[in-house]
Amino acid sequence: MGVIGLGFIGKVHLRNCLSLKSVKVVAAADTSKKTLNYARDFGVKQLFTDYHELLKLKDLDAVIIALPTHLHADCAINAMEEGKHVFLEKPLARNVKEGREIVSAARKNDVKFMVGYPLRFVPEFVDLKSQMESGMLGDIQMAHAVDVAAGPFFHRAESTTPRPVPEWWLNKELTGGGALMDLGCHMINLLRWYLGEAADVKARLGYRFNFDFEDYATCIIDFECGASAVVNVGWFSQNAAVGVELFGTMSYARAYFSPSSKVVTAIKLILGKTPKFFIPYLKEISHFVDYIQNDNGENPLSGENALRDLEVIIKAYKNKVK
Amino acid sequence: MSLVGSVECKTRDVDSIKRAIREAFNLIDYSLPEAKKIVIKPNMCYYWDWSTGQTTDPLFVAALIDLLREEISSDVEISIVESDASAMKCKYAFKYLGYEKLAKDCNVDLVNLSAVEAEKATVKVEDEVFEFMVPKIIRDADLCVNVPKMKYMIFTKISVALKNIYGCNPYPKKFEYHSKLNKVIVALNKVMPFDLHVLDGLTVCGSKTLRLGLVMASQDPVAVDAVAAKIMGVNPKSVVHLKLAEEEGLGKTSFAVKGANIDYFRKRFPRRGFSEKAITLGYRVACKLGLDKRLV
Repeated sequence: MGVIGLGFIGKVHLRNCLSLKSVKVVAAADTSKKTLNYARDFGVKQLFTDYHELLKLKDLDAVIIALPTHLHADCAINAMEEGKHVFLEKPLARNVKEGREIVSAARKNDVKFMVGYPLRFVPEFVDLKSQMESGMLGDIQMAHAVDVAAGPFFHRAESTTPRPVPEWWLNKELTGGGALMDLGCHMINLLRWYLGEAADVKARLGYRFNFDFEDYATCIIDFECGASAVVNVGWFSQNAAVGVELFGTMSYARAYFSPSSKVVTAIKLILGKTPKFFIPYLKEISHFVDYIQNDNGENPLSGENALRDLEVIIKAYKNKVK
Repeated sequence: MSLVGSVECKTRDVDSIKRAIREAFNLIDYSLPEAKKIVIKPNMCYYWDWSTGQTTDPLFVAALIDLLREEISSDVEISIVESDASAMKCKYAFKYLGYEKLAKDCNVDLVNLSAVEAEKATVKVEDEVFEFMVPKIIRDADLCVNVPKMKYMIFTKISVALKNIYGCNPYPKKFEYHSKLNKVIVALNKVMPFDLHVLDGLTVCGSKTLRLGLVMASQDPVAVDAVAAKIMGVNPKSVVHLKLAEEEGLGKTSFAVKGANIDYFRKRFPRRGFSEKAITLGYRVACKLGLDKRLV
């Protein structure tokens, strides 16, 4: 495995890969030499400031791409053309055109391709799906999904120490959007998992922090099954709330992701253990590895699936209401 | 003994805040001097807006600007200053924290101190000599007003008036000073002494965020810090940069508070409990042992 991009989430993936017995991390790439030292400290031998060089390595089966969104298409397609299996961080791409190009490259080069949606591996959300499928909620008519956090203005997971905000986060051209693109894709992916395909979507975008992209948004989604959902996402809160509520004809159920405290997170990180917050990330990489090694053909987090999430988001931007 | 004016401001609107600041000035018998150029330094430590209690409320600054224009002159030139830091860039902070809107509404300039003309200055604290670039805009100002918050800080215990001047250092990689933070804070205050300190304690961040409604004013930053420390449950004598500042003649830790009783604010301030203190201590130990590198 190779890890491309060692920002916050790239480092999480690197640590998680190193903890999996079935994976050998042979290389890492990042434009910053200083950042590459992080991988070196964990024993990664082959380090590159240009990911194209990493992709040429013969002993590399797969790569994890955790780069800024505007680099997703170029890097993923290059990796696929080199015959590497690809795990790509969400969102798939900054627009549908780039998303389609990535999906098509995966098919053309016959490589395994998965997009990272860690919430799909959170036990509470998995359990919600089971409750719904058991029929105990009846027919789901309404849903509410919320993902409110600090967005790019977050701190190190364990403390209140602020971290520098990479400038690409604040450039709409490079991200494709704001909070709706960043967090909305998680919620839309979960809701589509529960309720099926979206038929229509509208969005109201908010600009609390005066940027030229939304820092909060409310979407109303009509699903083909007849259910309606409200999705609230925002980058304004220091205390994250991530949850889904389903309301059916028989009952309702809710699921919220609740990571452990900052102290426990810090202690686990220092001891080299995986804190609760990062366990879904570990599970998704584990799933990706299993998908490659066992070739069982099951991939609920396919590129096609992520493309449909992206299509809903882009439609929401087009159908924004004042 | 230095005078500190203390006023309660229960509502968050320009008129109420302006009234509270004016009253705080009166309590310490402070009259605004004649001035053509004024510099205001709010606290913009990161992209946390006023509602978190971590950064100065732009509405508080708007009220102060109104007051300065009423008392001094309507055409006085006012600049709001801040510098780039390790984790914060002014161009984003000004926009994100509401200062771009404030500048437009109040017709004031926003100045990134990391991007303006500055002159080299040396300053001695104890037996150590420091060299800084001092922005010309601060050196040339007729009146420099510091508008800090009151917060706990991992490395210095408290961050109030003296620590806010740390943000006047144009050098952006401020984390490089962390090993000598106490001396550097004092050195910067010596090389850029501010005339007036008006504390925005409307919303504060302690163990949690609270609408405290406190406005304090003084010409002595050491006294403001000492009063704030008391309110926050920190012994001023245990704050190294405060002790050092007093020794270097920047002010006095002995103070007389006029106006609202500080016990009233002390009882309400959301002080850190045992667990928060343990986290701070643990983090400091982790930093010293180099274990903080393991934290992503």
